[in-house]
Amino acid sequence: MTPYQDQSMKKPLVVEIFTKVLAGLLGAVGLAAVLLAFYLLTAQNLPTVLQQESLLEFSNGYYALASFVVAGLVSMAARGLWRYRNWARMLLLSGLIIFILYYFITIIFMILSTIFAGLTLVPILSILRVVGMGLLFFLMYAGLPLVLVYLLLRVDQYFIESNRQREFIEVTVRYVLLGTALSAIIVVILIFVFTLTEAWDSIQTIGLDTMLLGTIWRPGSIIGTDRAQFGLIPMIVGTILSTFGAVIIGVPLSIGTAILLAEVAPPAVREVFRPAVELLAGIPSVVYGLFGMVVLAPLIRQIDLPRNTGFGLLNASIILAVMIIPTVTSIAEDAFRAVPREYKEGSLALGGTHWQTIIRTILPAAKSGILAGIILGIGRALGETMAMIMVIGNSIALPRPLTNNPLTLFLNTARTLTGNIAVEINYAAGAHRSALFFTGVLLFLMILLVNSVARLLLRSRKEA
Amino acid sequence: MERATFISQAKTDKVKRLNKVSQTFGYFLVWACGIGAIAVVFWIIGYVLNQGFQVINYEFLFTRPAGGVSGEGGISTTIVSTVYLVVLTLVIATPLGVGAGVYLVEYAGDAVKESKLVAFLVQVARTGVEILAGVPSIVFGLFGFALFVLYLRFGFSLLSASLSGAALVLPTIIRTSEEALLTVPRSYREGSLSLGATRWHTIFNVILPTALPGIVTGIVLSVGRIIAETAIFWVTLGGSFYLPQSVMHSGRSLALHVYMLASETRAFDKAMGTAAILIITIILLNLSINLISRRLTARISGTR
Repeated sequence: MTPYQDQSMKKPLVVEIFTKVLAGLLGAVGLAAVLLAFYLLTAQNLPTVLQQESLLEFSNGYYALASFVVAGLVSMAARGLWRYRNWARMLLLSGLIIFILYYFITIIFMILSTIFAGLTLVPILSILRVVGMGLLFFLMYAGLPLVLVYLLLRVDQYFIESNRQREFIEVTVRYVLLGTALSAIIVVILIFVFTLTEAWDSIQTIGLDTMLLGTIWRPGSIIGTDRAQFGLIPMIVGTILSTFGAVIIGVPLSIGTAILLAEVAPPAVREVFRPAVELLAGIPSVVYGLFGMVVLAPLIRQIDLPRNTGFGLLNASIILAVMIIPTVTSIAEDAFRAVPREYKEGSLALGGTHWQTIIRTILPAAKSGILAGIILGIGRALGETMAMIMVIGNSIALPRPLTNNPLTLFLNTARTLTGNIAVEINYAAGAHRSALFFTGVLLFLMILLVNSVARLLLRSRKEA
Repeated sequence: MERATFISQAKTDKVKRLNKVSQTFGYFLVWACGIGAIAVVFWIIGYVLNQGFQVINYEFLFTRPAGGVSGEGGISTTIVSTVYLVVLTLVIATPLGVGAGVYLVEYAGDAVKESKLVAFLVQVARTGVEILAGVPSIVFGLFGFALFVLYLRFGFSLLSASLSGAALVLPTIIRTSEEALLTVPRSYREGSLSLGATRWHTIFNVILPTALPGIVTGIVLSVGRIIAETAIFWVTLGGSFYLPQSVMHSGRSLALHVYMLASETRAFDKAMGTAAILIITIILLNLSINLISRRLTARISGTR
């Protein structure tokens, strides 16, 4: 089998002319680039156009080098095109498409920045004018390339590829795809490296034990004095308490809903309920935070106690509970559905009622799945940031009960680990910033632990 | 003898009645939970939409925020910034994610047999996806802040934000692409390969188009996550309310605008309006995912 077996394929005259002319033009461009390169190397007084507004100070030598590279590429493509090689066609196509995209993006930027950037409404006529001008501009620059792309796509069948080239493409694609497959782990490694190196400074200067056991967080006095303190206990307590509250409120509700959806409700109800609950997972956390600020805070303020602001652990727990409902519900429902039919049938056949079957047979059988759902919900609650900043009050002190009743602890303000980072990172510097990165590392490790427990539970259930 | 049966009969009657009562009570409890959850959904969405629609009008949508503590002005630049952010993030994350999905489904099986190194790399890659999926968003933010904003000196910019956002949605796209590719029947691959197409041609021209609806579902999910995400962009995007002129400029996404209005100004009504726009967008995205998956199941069951 010869590499170019269908070389002899008959080509229409139009295709013949189009390809040869295009190749000739490309060759001319290549030649021009070479000439430009020589001109750049030899000319004494260059026009200043070439040096304006460049990010780096490029000398003429660099421009000449770039010209040579372009010339090489273009003349290679011209030669390949002349001989109907597919790689040349692909090279040309990708170049043209990049060119077209560049102009497309420029035009979009231009149109949007005239319509949307003002403090007053733009009249409809000038919008039309801008859009029209944009289109005209686009056609002026990208019209010819668009036609070329279309024609090059049409002549597809006359271009050829050798087996060796095919093999080369296959191998290249395989390695590129392997690279993309490794992107996730590369990001994970980068996250570890960058958060740990930033946090290392605080471990060195402040000390691991001081940060993990200290009960006072006072970064403000870092400048000048040595009285700054970086104890993370208040934030750890805040995170654990708000998550605990969320579990107390959210989990019973979620499991009840899951039982309803999996066992009790008719299909029609399920069709409405399930997408509605799933919608909760998609709502942005800032919207929950806003709801907590505007609706829940005044409601909680009704409890008449001194220093009760409405913001605090109770508000945060309620918001978090709503946020974990979709996670816990959907995983618990899956767990209920995964219980083998025979269990249910056996229980019913022994004379148990439907409810007894649910409580005594299905619930215990689905136990590990439900537990995994709860733990994943906890993972989500631990990582929540913006809604927490908005409703928890962000006080840096260790939360204490407002009165003698220990339950009023939940009415006090607090701060979570996530909130600690988000509130202070934008202005922190030095040891303070490093301590915030350490907070992030701590949070990451906590969530990693929680998630791996959940994954173990789910896996053991699958194997059982 | 007779007496004994009578007693047990009475006992079972009593137990039966008790069971009946407990069943009714249980059903009531479960329904209460379900209706409670739904009520919460409708309460939040209804409240935000109701409050939000009172400020939404043309002027609100097409003028930029005025800045300052009053929180006056519209949200036009934040809409455009959000669109830029979503597009740029997807441009970065989609090729990586779909490519990874293709490799893990189509190539990993054979590659594992060929060499130990590749087998190890595939294992590592899978672990990486699992870990990345569990990373809390503020840690992505810290990472983006340390790597892109400070170390690479991109500053608070669209580029920093979308690179960090791409790290956030990468596991979502990889997982959904994998699932979508696994649903493509074996016979499609065999048919294409037996016609003499190379492996890459088969993947590009047969397998990817068949798996497209599933892949698109993953991308739409990612759009939702980027729109809803705030913590990452709070520490990488900055918060300028002007329209970003290039990828190196700072901007403000819709969700970030809600946060900034609520925490730095008194304009809760404007924040509600912005939140209403966000909720409408999320509802539309969820509907489109449902539509795609319904069409997908219809097509799969149609071919069988």
